[in-house]
This record gives sequence, structure tokens and C-alpha cells, in this order.
Amino acid sequence: MKIALIGNPNVGKSTVFNALTGSNQQVGNWAGKTVERKSGVVKRASQEIELIDLPGTYSLTAYSQEEIITREYIIREKPDVVMAMVDASNIERNLYLVLQILELVPRVVIGLNMLDLAQSAGITIESSNLALALNVPVVEIVAAKGKGIEEFLTEAIRVGKLENDPLPNEVSYPKVLEQKILAMEALLVDTLWVTRYPLRWLAIKRLERDPEIGQTWKINSGKLPIGKSRDACCDLGEAVNYELQESTPLPGESLLQDYEREGWTKDHFEMAIADAKYQYISAILPQFRKHENPAKPTFTDRLDRWILSPFWGYPIMLVVLTVVFWMSFIASAPIGGAVSLGMAWVAEVMVGWLQWVQAPEFMQSLVRDGIFAGVGAVLAFVPQIAIFFALFSFMQDSGYLARAAFLGDRFMQLMGLHGKSFFSLISSFGCNVPGIMATRTLEDPKDRLITILINPLIPCVPRLGVMSAVVAAFFPGSRGALIMISLLLISMLLVMFSALFLRRVVKHTERSAFVMELPLYHIPTVRNILVPTWQKTYSFLKRAWTFILVASIVVWILSSYPQGVPMSETWAGIMGGWLAFIGQPLGFDWRIMVAIVFGFTAKETTLSTLGILYGVAADASQSIAQAMTGAMTPLGAYTFLVVYMLYIPCLASVVTTYKESRNLGWTSFGVAYSLILSFVMGWIVFHGGQALGFR
Amino acid sequence: MERFLGDLKTGEWARVERIDGGGALRRRMMDMGIVPGVELEVVRQAPFGGPLQVRLKGYYLAMRRAECAKIVVSKKDPKCYDPLLASR
Repeated sequence: MKIALIGNPNVGKSTVFNALTGSNQQVGNWAGKTVERKSGVVKRASQEIELIDLPGTYSLTAYSQEEIITREYIIREKPDVVMAMVDASNIERNLYLVLQILELVPRVVIGLNMLDLAQSAGITIESSNLALALNVPVVEIVAAKGKGIEEFLTEAIRVGKLENDPLPNEVSYPKVLEQKILAMEALLVDTLWVTRYPLRWLAIKRLERDPEIGQTWKINSGKLPIGKSRDACCDLGEAVNYELQESTPLPGESLLQDYEREGWTKDHFEMAIADAKYQYISAILPQFRKHENPAKPTFTDRLDRWILSPFWGYPIMLVVLTVVFWMSFIASAPIGGAVSLGMAWVAEVMVGWLQWVQAPEFMQSLVRDGIFAGVGAVLAFVPQIAIFFALFSFMQDSGYLARAAFLGDRFMQLMGLHGKSFFSLISSFGCNVPGIMATRTLEDPKDRLITILINPLIPCVPRLGVMSAVVAAFFPGSRGALIMISLLLISMLLVMFSALFLRRVVKHTERSAFVMELPLYHIPTVRNILVPTWQKTYSFLKRAWTFILVASIVVWILSSYPQGVPMSETWAGIMGGWLAFIGQPLGFDWRIMVAIVFGFTAKETTLSTLGILYGVAADASQSIAQAMTGAMTPLGAYTFLVVYMLYIPCLASVVTTYKESRNLGWTSFGVAYSLILSFVMGWIVFHGGQALGFR
Repeated sequence: MERFLGDLKTGEWARVERIDGGGALRRRMMDMGIVPGVELEVVRQAPFGGPLQVRLKGYYLAMRRAECAKIVVSKKDPKCYDPLLASR
């Protein structure tokens, strides 16, 4: 049996889904989309049920990815039952979606959630009356506490097993509209389609000139077997693909043209039908809903007085961001350090074992300096990502993220971006990887792509660390502070410029609509935070470790062979020599070019690479930086810093970009863009500086 | 008296008359509940000319001023506001 979970965003679907499927989930992607496809298997009384968590959506039209996916799934894959989650505190808008579903799928069970939240706002819903009004079973649940979820599923299974389709009450459309619907029904009643979809729904969609009807699709499921082993969780299964088999035009064209002449265009029909549904909801609402004290301020109102106040809002946001940053990137440093030490220890053990079996020297070096050094460097910042993501989930589920987007939208507008990009870009200061992951909240795929592409231009903490060490060495005192600020300003300006520039490249001509819901505040469940955090961290690791492993080995090979020659004659050195001509216009010698290339795997290692190349046996970044002052002019160092700050994002963030955008072309474009941009800026800075008389 | 939503001040109530323009934006607004006849309240405006927060049917929406300029409303006197009717 196939059961689909549907509902508005923030309504608690994930809570129910996680509760029912536990670790038997599969997280994949919808074909051609960047939205996650979550499915799982549930067994009840020897009945196997495939449960699918459809993305939160407000309607079944076809404007956002979430809506398209939900629509396509229901129309093409035809679930047996739909479990519709409804937010009791927001019931009118939620019912709008439910009514649309009822016209398409007769087997529906409504899960009435958040009754406690509604109560606190003075709203009571009489669920038995709701069930009567719609003629659809209603189950009360408090998803956050796990109450009613099992009953919800049981009821859905019961409805799925019914012999005949239930007959939910139909929306009563105004007479004028009803006439037209009936007229269209008469034309369609003899077609094949009536056996597959409800006649009324077909008629309405035909009046709206919906392109989806009349199409037959084949479902290519390249899914991995839905297993019970732990590895099945978070496995990036192959996307389920839809293949268009045939497309037949439906009758009714001349009728539609007649209507158009009367002024009933497709747009008019859409508007009238949507309006009619809302009117219908208003009409039946008093049967099951009582709203006491509607003017009394709710908890959300009172909290928003602070959080969205023009005076306190921004300081509060600053505090929140600082806390998130501190916990993710600074407080987690000991954990990262422990991971590093752990990796180093394991490396020593491995080397010891290799020595014991008398493996050749190069193997030992490969293991210790190649594999473990590289992989360890990246693993050390997994704790950061995990903690950040947990905090981010909390921000999102509690409702605060929408407030941050509300406050930050004005600034994002300047760059042609959506308010929700704000959090993502700010997070990138800590680390680009979670910053890129945070773009998931953006609904418009083009907004999302642009935000993903400009994220790496924001200098992250590891980069800032290296930069401040070099700045301190070359520009001591207060001059150093000014230099750092100037560097940050350069990156900010380039982020703004890139955002505006990329709008042309990504062909995003229609400005994104900022119509966003500010949900009621509520405390998310621990499970709803931990499960996605675990999934995302795990999938990041799975993707990244192969790339990083390969990259580390390559770096090691290049810098170790041929053996026994000075650095400049190893393959790495020779490569640096070839690349020197690129660095020349910027005053970079071959060593810097090599460091730049190697810095790709993890930018923190740039300084130690430089140390090795300059023959400085030092372990503190400060002393390496000091040693560099002998080899570079201040202008040279500044140029280097500009390039270093902007060029290719680290390997981990490239992998994340690929994972989030699912597009190799754009990922490569992003890499090339930052590379070219960084060198162009470097050139400008170097020659501009010289022209202005700096050294 | 017809005005645009963007012209309203904080705390004012209005009834939506129609949405000018078309396409994705209009569809999105309709999906979110902004249809002719619905009554909404302007809750606040983000500083620096940022988005508007409105309350309708018991939930909150944020929209940019440019989008609010497309929504034609007629102003309502809060005293005439019937709590049960306001849910529509």
C-alpha cells in the first residue's frame, strides 16, 4: 500500500514521518529537483506500507518545486491513501490544500495537529463536526508528543482497505461557475480519463487549461532496495524518474474558446475556483471552529514585539547569530581538536603496524602524511558542521528563521536575493559548508543556485585565521586591523556584485516573490532536530570522503616524488614552475602557486604548505608568517591575501555545492568563477597598488 | 475608498478588493489566502523599507512593499470589525 503524507510547511509532517518510520527511511532526491524525497517502509499487521513524506506545500498548483513535486506524485504515482496533516491553529488555509486534494483523491484521512497551540490562541476545533462537514475521517494528534500518530496510521490503513471509494462532500461552487464545470464534465464523461481520475477534477483542470491532464507517465524507479539495515538510512538512492509515455489532448477546446470570448480566461477560472474554495471554507467554518478572544495577543505576538521590533530586532539577531557561531565554530574547537588528535593517533598506530610488517618507507609516509593528514583535516571540522546544523534546524523549526529573513530581506533585496538567503550568507562566515546547506530553505531554485554560488566568496573562519596571521606579520599594530577590514569589505562588495551579475547568468529575470509565512513560535522536538542533523552529516561524509581521500593522495604524490630532490624539483615544484607564469603578473613565485593549488583540499593547510616550501621548519602560523616577510613585499602579501580569500572554495564546499545543486555544470562554473575572479582581483590589487605607489 | 496595501499604516484593517498583475506572484498570493474579500490587518513594517507583516485568518504573512503595491484594498474601520467575520 502506498500512503502519502501531505500538508502545509511547518505543520508537523516530518514529526509524524520520523515517528512512524524511525530509522527505516530513505532520503533521496526527486528527479531533476533539488528537493529531498523521503520515503520509508512501515509494517503493521503483516501489511507493508510505503510511506512517502511529500514536501510542505500550500497548494497543488505548479509554481514552486514543492508544489510541482506534490502534484506530480499524486497524479503520476497515485497513492492509495493520503494522510493530510492540518494545523488546527491555521485551519482555513490548511483546508484550502485539503479541498484540492479531496477533488483528486477520495481516500483521505485528516490528521488534526497542534490543537494545543490552537487552544493557547483561543481556538477550539470540534473534530467530529469537521469530519461531518467534509465527510472525511479526522484524527486528532499532538505530533510533538507522539499522541495519536498510531491512530492516524491505523485509520489511513482502514480507508485504504475500503472496497469502494468514499464520497467526500464536494465544494459547492457558485452557480455561474458550477454551470461551466458541469458543461465541461459532460464533454469529458466519455473519455478514458474518467476511469483514472475523478470527473469533477478533470473538468476543473480542463477549464484551467492544466497541462498535466491528458498525459500518461511511466515510473522508473531506480531505487535501492528499501532495507532494514542501518545503512539504508540516509542512502542517496537513485531518483525516481518519470517518463512521459503519451500525451493526448482532451476534448473541450471549442467550449474553452467560447468561455474566453465571454471573458472567462484560464486566469479567471483559476481565480474564481480558488476564491470559491475559500468561500466554501468560510461557510462551513462555524460548524467546527470557535475562536475566543481573537484580539488577545498570543505568545507569538508578544515574542514578536521584541524579536521584530525595529529597535531590538537587530541586536537580538546579532546575539542569536553570535551564539550560533560561538557554539558551532568556537566551542566545538576542542572536539575538532580531539578528532585531529584521534586521527593522528590512529595514523601512528597504522604506521607502527606497517613498520612491524616492514612495509616500504613510502607506504608509511603515504599513510601518515598523505591519507591521514588530508582526511583528518576535513574530519576535524565535521563536529562544526553537525553542531551548526542542529542549531540551524532549531532556528528553522522554532520559527525564528522566518523572522531573521524578515529583518534581513531589505539588505538581500539590494543584491537581488531573497530574505532567506540572509542566514545562509551569514553562516558562511563560520564555514562555507553549512552556509551552502542552509540554502535549502529557499524555495525558488534560481535564488537557491545563486546563493549557493556566491557563498564561497565569503571568507570562512579557517581562511580568516590564516589571513589574520599573515596580516599580523606584515602589518603590525593598528594598520593590521585596517587591512583586515579592507579585505572583508572587498569580499562583501564582490559578493554583492556577484549576486547581481549571476542573476543575468542564471537567467533569473523574474524577481523572486517574497511572500513568506511567519509561523507561530513553537519548540521543536529533539527528534526533529537530531534526525535531519544525523542524515545531513552522514550524507556529507559519504560524499566527501572519497574526493578528499583521492585529493590528499594526489597532493602527497606530487610533493613527495621524485624522492630525494629539493622541493623545487619535485613534481609539485615543477608544476609550480609551469603555473608561475600565471602568478607572475601578480608577483607570485612558484612556491605561492603550489601553495594555492594545494590549499584547494583544505585552506587551513596553506600556511604549513608555504612553510615547507620556504624551508621553514616551524609549527606555529605566526612564525611561518614571520618567515614569509623575508620573501615577500607587503603589497605582495596583500595581493596574496586577496587571492587566497577568494579563490576556489575548499574541496569540502565544492562537494557540498555539487550535492546541493545536483548539477556538475554549475558546480564547475562556480569553481571557475571564483578562480578567475580571485586572480583578476589580485591583478587589479597588485598593479593598482604599484601604480598608487605602495610596495 | 480604494488604496494599495502598501499605503496602509500599522494597525489598520483592510479588505482585499483585487490583486493587480498576474503570473506566479498572484498565484502565490492566492495560495497563501490573499483572495478578494479577505480581511487583513497590517501588523508591522520591517525597518529601512523592508517587508510588511500582515495578519489574516489567524496567521501571519510577510510581503515586500513592491508586492503590496499590487494589492488593491479598501480600508476598514477597526470598530466595525466583527471577530467571526474577520476569519474570512
